[in-house]
Amino acid sequence: MMASSYNAKDEDGHITVSGPGGGTLRSKKPENTAFKQQRLPAWQPILTAGTVLPAFFIIGLLFIPIGIGLFVTSNNIKEFEVDYTGVDMSSPCFNCSQNFSWNSTRPCTCTIPFYLDQPYESNVYVYYGLSNFYQNHRRYVKSRDDSQLNGDVNSLMSPSKECEPYAFHENKPIAPCGAIANSMFNDTLELFYNDPNGTRIPIPLNTTGIAWWTDKHVKFGNPGGNPNLTAAFQGTTKPVNWRRPVYELDADPGNNGFINEDFIVWMRTAALPTFRKLYRIINKKSSMVPTLPRGNYTLEVVYNYPVRSFEGRKRVILSTISWMGGKNPFLGIAYITVGSVCFFLGVVLLIVHHKCGNRNNSADISN
Amino acid sequence: MAFRTEQEVDSLHATIECEQPQPDLYKFVGRINIYKDKEEPSCRPLGAENLLLRGATLKNTQHIYAVAVYTGMETKMALNYQSKSQKRSAVEKSMNAFLIVYLCILISKAVINTVLKYAWQWSPDRDEPWYNHRTENERQRHMVIRAFTDFLAFMVLFNYIIPVSMYVTVEMQKFLGSYFITWDEEMFDEELGEGAQVNTSDLNEELGQVEYVFTDKTGTLTENNMEFIECCVDGNVYIPHAICNGQILSAASSIDMIDSSPGGYRREHEDLFFRALCLCHTVQVKEEETVDGIKRGIHQGRPTSFYISSSPDEVALVEGMKRLGYTYLRLKDNYMEILNKDDEIERFELLHVLNFDSVRRRMSVIVKSSSGEYLLFCKGADSSIFPRVVSGKVEQVKARVEQNAIEGLRTLCVAYRRLSESEYQEACHHLNEAKLALQDREQRLAQAYDIIERDFVLLGATAVEDRLQEKAADTIESLHKAGMKVWVLTGDKMETAAATCYASKLFRRSTQILELTKKRTEEQSLHDVLFELNRTVLRQRSISGLSVDCLDFGLIIDGATLSAVLKANQERAGSGNYREIFLEICRNCSAVLCCRMAPLQKAQIVKLIKASKEHPITLAIGDGANDVSMILEAHVGIGIMGKEGRQAARNSDYAIPKFKHLKKMLLVHGHYYYIRIAELVQYFFLQNVCFIFPQFLYQFFCGFSQQPLYDTAYLTLYNISFTSLPILLYSLVEQHITMETLKRDPSLYRDIAKNSLLRWPVFLYWTCLGVFDAVIFFFGAYFLFDNTTFTSNGQLMTTNTQMMFGNWTFGTLVFTVLVFTVTLKLALDTHHWTWINHFVIWGSLLFYVIFSLLWGGIIWPFLNYQRMYYVFMQMLSSGPAWLSIILLITVSLLPDVIKKVLCRTMCPTATERAQSNRPCLTVEPSTIFMLSQSSSRMSF
Repeated sequence: MMASSYNAKDEDGHITVSGPGGGTLRSKKPENTAFKQQRLPAWQPILTAGTVLPAFFIIGLLFIPIGIGLFVTSNNIKEFEVDYTGVDMSSPCFNCSQNFSWNSTRPCTCTIPFYLDQPYESNVYVYYGLSNFYQNHRRYVKSRDDSQLNGDVNSLMSPSKECEPYAFHENKPIAPCGAIANSMFNDTLELFYNDPNGTRIPIPLNTTGIAWWTDKHVKFGNPGGNPNLTAAFQGTTKPVNWRRPVYELDADPGNNGFINEDFIVWMRTAALPTFRKLYRIINKKSSMVPTLPRGNYTLEVVYNYPVRSFEGRKRVILSTISWMGGKNPFLGIAYITVGSVCFFLGVVLLIVHHKCGNRNNSADISN
Repeated sequence: MAFRTEQEVDSLHATIECEQPQPDLYKFVGRINIYKDKEEPSCRPLGAENLLLRGATLKNTQHIYAVAVYTGMETKMALNYQSKSQKRSAVEKSMNAFLIVYLCILISKAVINTVLKYAWQWSPDRDEPWYNHRTENERQRHMVIRAFTDFLAFMVLFNYIIPVSMYVTVEMQKFLGSYFITWDEEMFDEELGEGAQVNTSDLNEELGQVEYVFTDKTGTLTENNMEFIECCVDGNVYIPHAICNGQILSAASSIDMIDSSPGGYRREHEDLFFRALCLCHTVQVKEEETVDGIKRGIHQGRPTSFYISSSPDEVALVEGMKRLGYTYLRLKDNYMEILNKDDEIERFELLHVLNFDSVRRRMSVIVKSSSGEYLLFCKGADSSIFPRVVSGKVEQVKARVEQNAIEGLRTLCVAYRRLSESEYQEACHHLNEAKLALQDREQRLAQAYDIIERDFVLLGATAVEDRLQEKAADTIESLHKAGMKVWVLTGDKMETAAATCYASKLFRRSTQILELTKKRTEEQSLHDVLFELNRTVLRQRSISGLSVDCLDFGLIIDGATLSAVLKANQERAGSGNYREIFLEICRNCSAVLCCRMAPLQKAQIVKLIKASKEHPITLAIGDGANDVSMILEAHVGIGIMGKEGRQAARNSDYAIPKFKHLKKMLLVHGHYYYIRIAELVQYFFLQNVCFIFPQFLYQFFCGFSQQPLYDTAYLTLYNISFTSLPILLYSLVEQHITMETLKRDPSLYRDIAKNSLLRWPVFLYWTCLGVFDAVIFFFGAYFLFDNTTFTSNGQLMTTNTQMMFGNWTFGTLVFTVLVFTVTLKLALDTHHWTWINHFVIWGSLLFYVIFSLLWGGIIWPFLNYQRMYYVFMQMLSSGPAWLSIILLITVSLLPDVIKKVLCRTMCPTATERAQSNRPCLTVEPSTIFMLSQSSSRMSF
């Protein structure tokens, strides 16, 4: 058997090599802990038809009532919408929309009559809606200076580069700077109730309470703490498209300058190109009289805001709200659909489970 | 002519001619021409026996004088060394393939959006409406540059679809996960004092994908610790220190027993037998190191010296003889000294050694006894001895040998022949003539041996056991059941290796053995043999058809034939592709034994299988330096931390103390790592599709202006902190089936074979799921925000205070649904909920909420925008937001749950069955019994 194979492993021949000492031996031994041995106690659930079935039925039983509730609530909300863009010749605002020019000093006004066929009982919210207006365009979204809006004096005088090309005008810093502020919605909407006896009663519109509380009190602030806003905004210029400087937005000092709520609402850029923003609130006066009784109304619009160049639309919406917000049948329908699908799947699974489960069991046993 | 001092060596004037360097360790052809003054130069042959290989150590001499013939990279060992190449796992490969798909998706998304952007803003009113002008700089930029920047901007916007953090997480998972191997107590060997060792963590999951196991035999399957078991002289069995025929007999008494039995003839054979074993070997004696200056002699009874031989069998035999009373003392001045059981020293003059070679499979010595008799002792494999035997109790010995071989013992037969003076002279003449031949030396020697080794008188047989490693058979059986093909690659000779294979259940009794050996190819041409075998295999397969597993094949191939198969292919590429036929045969064999392999051949065969058309995953396991090349070549290399050296362990990817640990390594750790990493990879892609696809959809609603849907903080932290920890921990601790089940039922390993969890259909399913979820997120939020498309009127998503929500709220809503869905999807996939899983999954959701509250709750002075201020709180204060979040999460998770439940119920995989059987198994042990019974019946 000589040289039956050259075994490199035979280097040691048959001299027994004594192993390492006992001391080092112990230290190398892995610890016997549950974690290291992968034997942590564990709950081992398996998704079988049996365990999933009840879940499906429960989801179905929960979702369908929720959906019905949502749907009914949404349907009870009253909403009225009128488009006043003035695209058609027949539209009252056609002239205004046609003759629009940025430089005109005389405001163009149009009057839109409408009829509410049912009374609006609770608080009514007045929205303006814009279509095809890309407030979510990247260039647009970033075109603002939050520290300027927060009242920072340095930023007031030297607005952030993000505001370009709306940062400076005639070498003066624009306050508020940026494309968003520059394009602020500036139509004035007024609402009149046409009494059956022929008088036009103006409906009081609340200008406050339409913005987030935190926005108004924390995120936005006028510069310098100077109560005289004209002085505070000294050295700045109004945005190019504005007719008035920022310190003349409202007579009320608590709603003027950067903390003007119309302005704050506009500054919250919309998610989609078709959006609506809260404009005014009509508060309920007493529980006896509906906020807006059934009847004829007139909407008076000071038409300042051009949308036809980008094929946009302007709307006014009157709406009541519920606990779940405004009119939204989608959520209700979705809940009902998902609930029914779950219920249906539950039934299907029950059948499948019954048939296959039995078959498997019997197969196992016969094996 | 001896050279004992440096001066003497210095006086030698000679030249050496040798062949070009070649990797065959057992072959060396050369000659030395010695020039002496005035005399004719004398020429001596040099063979493999004259060559010391690199790395050899001197054992029984202080020094030698030698000439270096090959150095550096030309040494045989270096030529057998396989350069270490980087190994990548199959998972990593599919990961990269998926990544390329995602890269294409990313680029096409960016291209689509860029094209659409320019199509959309063709009209200047859309491009630059009065409310949204460009700066002068931007306006002046060239159209092409603008388009290119837009393209890049889209790439940046969508780049999160490429899960960069996946690579980080995968690396962490592999690194941390590999500790579980090191920590495993079951893989710790008390004797060795060592546990498993991980040298690379890159291949953890590959352990779950192994299809071919290439194992070394000696030291891997076996202990490499030969033990003399018994010998049999003329049918009488001698077992040292063991039970013999029901009686416990010491060595001496067993001899005594034979003494008492009548018959001088028998006595004579017995004496000859023991002497034969003491003389017929090439063992060398190394005396023990001197202790305290006193050299302890061998005379004092018990062993104080070591036997050294290149073959452990011989050592075992000589040691066994010592235990039976005959001690081989030393070889001194060509005299072999034996201490017989009567404590007398017998001296034999060693005249010739007829070396072992693998073709003859026997070796002989010719000695001259003190009484002047010439004796030829021969020992060798039964197949090479019996045909040459003329007398002796052939039948009894043969029966014993066969019985021993069945038990997996290495058997040798011993025979002798008395030579007369004239016969001896003739033999001498033959031998010397052959030895001096320069051409065809091997052939002429073989002829000479053939003439001398004949007319034997059979003495008996020996049995040596190379004990199988603990549980080696069980391990191999498990590997077979797990669908792996086990190949034994060994340098040993065929019979020994085959015996071990039977013992280790690699070959079963029912296995039909196909032989592809040199012996056979000498009779027929290689071509014919290959085709014949192939026909056999194919015919059997077509006949058996249904009952495939009842007939399995085992193939035995030796090194010489293998190289012939491979070489033939190179020479005549294309025509008569032996390689293909060979692979075809191998594919149909459940077990293959390759014997007489050189180290590089081991690597070659691994490479051959690796390169075959299915590209199977291979694993090589071995313990010695000769296994290093195959360890490096295979996809996964495992080293056994044997008694001999650490070279294999050092070069391996994983090192384990014993062969039996391979079972847990593959069936448990490998399986776990594979499902863990597969889920990790798929989940990461899903998570990123869900994340980015809504952003892609949003571009259609924001004028393709690259407006991000989510806030920067969310974009950055999504992969890092909101979603990565649960999946990382999942991929560390998930156990979809218990360890016990995995070990008990190796066939579960088949469920994950062939990278089954990362195949394209599965990948497609996950991607579709991701896209579905993304569509649900986006359009769910869209319809809730939009008030014209779906509901024609109605204002949505407002709080009770009627504040309108902006684009950031929209993004936050989508993001919240996304984080919850993705985390809950993982929760649904988790089968093993330890406290860690609970902590991480619920913890990361909680972290998201807390982070969002904090992020939106403060005016951060270092930011130049405050767009997230109070957005999250405002959203949560709105009832519909809650309702829609719950709805969207439910809808997103629904399809996956349904798919899982239906698959499990309609066509459960073995894994799923094992999962659902779990509770009933613990309750009804009888079922286990029945199941295991039926499974074992199936396997036989």
